[in-house]
Amino acid sequence: MNRLIGMVVLIGAVVAGLIGLSAVFYLAAGGLAYVFAEYLGAPPSFGAAIANVVTLMLVVMMISGSLLTVAERKWSAMMQNRIGANRIKVLGSALGGIPFLAADALKMLTKESAPPRGRTRILYEMAPALAFAPVFALFAIIPLGPPVPLGSIIASAAGALGSAGVALQVASPDAGLLYIFAISSLAVYGTALAGWASNNKLALLGGVRASSQMISYEVSLGLSLVGTMLAFRTLRLEEMVVAQGAAVIGPVPALGILLQPVGFLIFFASAFAETKRAPFDLPEGESEIVGYFVEYSGMKFGLMFLAEFVEIVVLAAIITAVFLGGWHPLVVSTEWLRQTVTPLWFGAICGGAFLAKMIVLMWLQLTIRWLLPRFRFDQIQKLCWKILLPAAIANVFVTAGALLIDPSMQLLAWIGVATIVAVVAITAAVGRAPAPGEHGAAHVVAGH
Amino acid sequence: MTEKKGLGEVLTAAPSDELRLPPGESELDAFMPSRRMTVNLGPSHPAMHGVTRAVVELEGEIIREMKLDIGFLHRGFEKSCENVTWTQCFPYTDRLNYVSSIMNNVGFALAVEKLCKLDVPERAKYLRVITSELHRICDHLTLVGAMGMELGAMTVFLYAVEARDIIWDRLSELCGARLTSNYARVGGVARDAPEGWVAKTAKTLDRVTGYVDEIDGLLARNRIFIDRTRGTGVVPREDAIELGFTGPCLRASGEPYDLRKAAPYLVYDRVDFDIPVGTNGDNFDRYLMRVEEMRQADRIIRQCFEQMEPGEIAVQDFRYVLPPKPLVYGTIEGLMAHFKIIMEGIQVPAGEAYSYTEAANGELGFYVVSDGGGRPYKLGLRAPGWPMLAALPFMTKDSLLSDLIPTFDSINMIGGEVEQ
Repeated sequence: MNRLIGMVVLIGAVVAGLIGLSAVFYLAAGGLAYVFAEYLGAPPSFGAAIANVVTLMLVVMMISGSLLTVAERKWSAMMQNRIGANRIKVLGSALGGIPFLAADALKMLTKESAPPRGRTRILYEMAPALAFAPVFALFAIIPLGPPVPLGSIIASAAGALGSAGVALQVASPDAGLLYIFAISSLAVYGTALAGWASNNKLALLGGVRASSQMISYEVSLGLSLVGTMLAFRTLRLEEMVVAQGAAVIGPVPALGILLQPVGFLIFFASAFAETKRAPFDLPEGESEIVGYFVEYSGMKFGLMFLAEFVEIVVLAAIITAVFLGGWHPLVVSTEWLRQTVTPLWFGAICGGAFLAKMIVLMWLQLTIRWLLPRFRFDQIQKLCWKILLPAAIANVFVTAGALLIDPSMQLLAWIGVATIVAVVAITAAVGRAPAPGEHGAAHVVAGH
Repeated sequence: MTEKKGLGEVLTAAPSDELRLPPGESELDAFMPSRRMTVNLGPSHPAMHGVTRAVVELEGEIIREMKLDIGFLHRGFEKSCENVTWTQCFPYTDRLNYVSSIMNNVGFALAVEKLCKLDVPERAKYLRVITSELHRICDHLTLVGAMGMELGAMTVFLYAVEARDIIWDRLSELCGARLTSNYARVGGVARDAPEGWVAKTAKTLDRVTGYVDEIDGLLARNRIFIDRTRGTGVVPREDAIELGFTGPCLRASGEPYDLRKAAPYLVYDRVDFDIPVGTNGDNFDRYLMRVEEMRQADRIIRQCFEQMEPGEIAVQDFRYVLPPKPLVYGTIEGLMAHFKIIMEGIQVPAGEAYSYTEAANGELGFYVVSDGGGRPYKLGLRAPGWPMLAALPFMTKDSLLSDLIPTFDSINMIGGEVEQ
């Protein structure tokens, strides 16, 4: 019982912390927007975007990306009956391994760079940046929090300036999801070039694997989201999030995962493959080919390593925005919340909800990574081209047909519910079935 | 000036290298001339346990040819044994298969006892079987864990290592060492089981069974694991026999041959156990053999605990076994026997003998020749892992590079015994 109370208190504290953090983000965005508008005459969105670059991309993404390295150690340790990183102590306390963050960074930065002979110099030096930059840029269009009038954040902003909205989103291009596809497909250059430029056969194999895998999965990645684009009739992420607040079956909101369960599964699998982590970590494949970054050391390796963790954060953010209702808190009605609390706190609570969903998804990704073995090269291609891609195409047609018959999305929602029930039922049935028998494995003979 | 060519260069420099035409294409067609890529895996490579070197010739990612280069762990076991007394050979045998060292002890002890025509006391036989089977579980846990880890399932490895660790704790209570446990002696075993050891070990086995079930649950029904291992590294039954396979790898191919049943030694004819037999001889079958054998080993140990009775743990013949310390310090006969064994070694009658036991990886054979002195005149070892390792190029030919990993794991190559 104590344990339960402790966990509830901990979760509550974490959620409260996230809400407070979002409030700080809003204050920063609002403050900078006000300063820029008032003293430089720039539009308020200009200042807000600059503040958001700092708060969202540096604080949320980079810090959670680096915290994930510690979280992965600790969580894998928990799964494996170990204690995990606890050797660095600050004032006698291991602090949950968090000091390792600093230690790792220091180690990476001070390690000798040992570039291989015969490398292609420019590409070799560029590859880590090419691997990291696209991932970094992806976070720009994530709508972390709803727009809040500037006047409610900064009391002295009035008039037209006061009613201008400040959202926790760096940029909101019309292309929306297309931006995500475009930028994420650039990430393959970093890994492929790292493999090519290292002048190492194993790294080359890794680079080839990486490029074929990432290019293949891009196809199903793109098609898996077409369904959501059709359903929400927009490409912009923030509009998708707003659309997910509307009730579709009774009070149940039109969440992406409800309308597009198949799309969700395909997107999750494909995006997971894009992150190149187990079970899709063939480009690394540390026990077979050691990986495309085998010739990198020091911070160059660190950058590639960090890119994977940042990809986890970005993937969690995209799934939250597209499939899990974005900043809608879901536990309480968004409309009720909007009328009850001040606009600033409404935004802060919504931002906290977004961050909380992201944390759950990051946890899920770590769990999957530590549970499953690695695919083989041909199996991963089969999975993509023979299972995910046809399913994604079928999903597009079913979604389009359902929307044609019933534009209010109700039919689509019922199809989604039926799919979820079917998937759960099949999983439960298969999960309890005995081990495959036709293999005739380990039949026991009783001696001679 | 002739340059000395390495193994890798020799492989790439095949004469027809530039003109290799794809099958069915004439040289007038515009084809892409492709070279095979020679990749050197090892000697220090994460997939090569210990230090083995595999020179792999790849076409894309398909292994067309493979050469194994062993010997990085060669210690001269056979020759070293000729320079020490029979008793002093035992520590060397520990280092053969270092994950199941007591099995090697037992195999060597049986060979010497065959020459001496000794029959060890019942309790010693039971203790030998119990420790051997404990080590069989250790060996198989290592294999299953390493296989999981190298396929990317790190968690499995840590479960296996934890299970192995608690077995090692029990073994260290018995013989003082965790890894190179040295327990068997000519004429018996080194020490009797301490107070309460049997009950504690039974409890340990309960936990180990729990871990084994958990590992099996994580792997045997895992679609990725099945896809990776099923149908890869296949060795049909006839080939397995031709290649000299023994142990779990042979049984996975469908040949129900186990020395514990075929030629029972110690007390294996008194305990009831089954030997698992596979059908396909692929990596998945070899994995299943290991898991099932761990369960059978558990059965054997528990039966031994029930059947074992208190008694002597070594023959009471001071020509072979060190006398107890009160006799050494208190009587002249004891002192002399002690001195003779320590300084001259056990006087093993002249002759030759071959002992064969079912070690974790297959038939472990010791061929010993004695000239009647205190040291082996000649010693030969049949390492169980060697035929399987030698068959690796056959097993991985024309398969993907990724298949090399589970195949290499499932044959359980142990550098110590293969490279002697």
